[in-house]
Amino acid sequence: MEDGDKVNTKKMLRILCEETGVSGREEEMYDIIKELTEGFSKDIKQLPTGTIVVTAGNKDADRHIMLDAHIDRIGLIVTYIGENGFVNAEPVGGMDLRALPGTVVTIQGKENVTGVIATLPPHLVDKEKGMTRDDIRIDTGLSDSKLRKLVSQGDTAVVKSFFRELLNDKVAVSALDNRAGCAVIIKAAELVSGKLDNIKLSLVFSSQEETNESGASTAAFLLEPDEAIVVDTGFAKQEGVPSGQSGEMGKGPIISIAPVLSRRLTDRLMNTADKLGITYALEVDGGMTGTNADGISVTRGGILCAVISVPDKNMHTQTETVSIKDIEDTARVIAEYIIGGAEK
Amino acid sequence: MTDHKLLKKLCTASGISGDEGEVRELILSEIRDHADKIIVDNPGNIIVFKKGKKRAKTKLMLSAHMDEVGFIVTDILPDGLLKFACVGGINDSAVFAKQVLVGKDKLPGVVCCKPVHMLKADEKGKNPSPDTLTIDIGAESRQEALKYVRPGDSVVFDSIYENKNGRIISKAIDDRFGCLVLIEMIRSQLPYDMTFVFCVQEEVGLRGSAAAAFTAAPDSAIVIEATTAADMPGSENEKKVCCVGKGAVVSFMDRASIYDKEYFRLAMDISKELGIPAQTKTKIAGGNDAGSIHKSRGGVRTIAVSVPCRYLHANAGLISTDDAKAVGDLVRELAKRICEQ
Repeated sequence: MEDGDKVNTKKMLRILCEETGVSGREEEMYDIIKELTEGFSKDIKQLPTGTIVVTAGNKDADRHIMLDAHIDRIGLIVTYIGENGFVNAEPVGGMDLRALPGTVVTIQGKENVTGVIATLPPHLVDKEKGMTRDDIRIDTGLSDSKLRKLVSQGDTAVVKSFFRELLNDKVAVSALDNRAGCAVIIKAAELVSGKLDNIKLSLVFSSQEETNESGASTAAFLLEPDEAIVVDTGFAKQEGVPSGQSGEMGKGPIISIAPVLSRRLTDRLMNTADKLGITYALEVDGGMTGTNADGISVTRGGILCAVISVPDKNMHTQTETVSIKDIEDTARVIAEYIIGGAEK
Repeated sequence: MTDHKLLKKLCTASGISGDEGEVRELILSEIRDHADKIIVDNPGNIIVFKKGKKRAKTKLMLSAHMDEVGFIVTDILPDGLLKFACVGGINDSAVFAKQVLVGKDKLPGVVCCKPVHMLKADEKGKNPSPDTLTIDIGAESRQEALKYVRPGDSVVFDSIYENKNGRIISKAIDDRFGCLVLIEMIRSQLPYDMTFVFCVQEEVGLRGSAAAAFTAAPDSAIVIEATTAADMPGSENEKKVCCVGKGAVVSFMDRASIYDKEYFRLAMDISKELGIPAQTKTKIAGGNDAGSIHKSRGGVRTIAVSVPCRYLHANAGLISTDDAKAVGDLVRELAKRICEQ
């Protein structure tokens, strides 16, 4: 890869991560996806569940590949407007509640409203006791009338974090799960653009993975692909994460092996990576994968699935960290997989 | 009037206790042309003398501290992660998963530990204690990290500054707000001669102010601070201590001082007389440089006026701009009255 490409990946990732789009609010991502994909396709639509689909290649081709990356991010949803500028909120998706005390959030109200997740001063609390989903209060500091004007029940909120570049081409920001995966499938589509005479490619930016994985399987039903590659974030090696379930950051993608996945597709992904000289780690699951592949694989009469992931540290916090190189390597493996020969 | 542009500069500057240089330089550049005498002493305090229209009957010192809470790098692990200690009374539960800036070059880093998915049953539902956390700057080995970071380097929160809808959200409001009040007074025409001190190391034991008060040798002192407001769900009645939006906080006693009773009454009287909103604390909580100043030399009559601040010792505090204005107004009038007594 040339340096120019790296800048582009980083820039694209930044645009994706700084946007909202909590589960159920994926329409907020539509314009950005349109902008990031119009270089290779003008065919974009949004499905009833909120999933965004971009189609590329030959629409009449025999081989139809679906690349899935969930576009929703974890967040909060306002459940009650309280007094003195405080609102109650509950998590959307598996937020790491340990990360919330004192965290700055942005509520997607009538206008963006900044708030702080309330944490009682140390002298009033049991320091060890963590936050539960019932005691999340966002302090907007607004007067009651202003608050009621700007914020309503059902408004979502995202954790505010800066897009920060760490050493070794790593970046840290919230929502890398799974905006990193979205960047991967866009990059892969760019790499195969113009080489898809015999292939129909559906890029599926699926909704609501973090809540109930409903966006991907419903999209697969409507699109009827022959095979699906699911791209998500996986655990990067760090304290407390067992090997066999993680990949070392900067050393390429994680490829999943699991009973629910197609071993044939999985083997082809591994062979493709080997052919390109791209290293990868394996995540071996004893049953389901915890990704969209679990649903897609049993959609309609069954769809062949494989899962490839970008190693991600500090999952489900505002300090998620990935390597730009891993995103690019993952995209290269997928691109080569697509154009490297027909599966059937 | 609160100079919000300057408050933003002050709050976003980095300066944990013992490493106040950046804040000191900023303050010096803001006051240089407005003071009659400026001393930077050995601990690093700035001591400023400014002539007023008249000679004061009581020698008054106004004090604020420059340092903020943060962290200090204590060790670098073989895998390149940084171990750290808290500097000052940080709210433990607000440390995990925050973004930080490390060292002089403000290298971005993140505070991390084991992902939530991997917690064992007995680890769930608990706040990770800071001593189990590390800072990740992206280095892959100790050797690589050492090219950028050394043990002893300072770490500050990488936080927002927002002034909107009548409230400010920022790190380090404690006590860059106090510094702002002093700077604005120094830049104004004073009714009486006054001494101002910008102190180091308040957060680690009220240390800089002890030296500054000795050198300034005042009769009386006003400490301008930010103080904990616990007016939030889960805290009732007196446990709120003080409330955001209810005006300047004038203390009669805290964990470090019993304040001068006459000055306390005087401050409350001025509040009523001039319609400046003021409140007092409903618990004996907190403490500030008054604790060292009131016992300096042969004793100093001391009072503290503070802006109520939620989430004081964390990455993002919240204050009201009306309260900020009230503190400024009250302090100026109180200073004048003390000087003429």
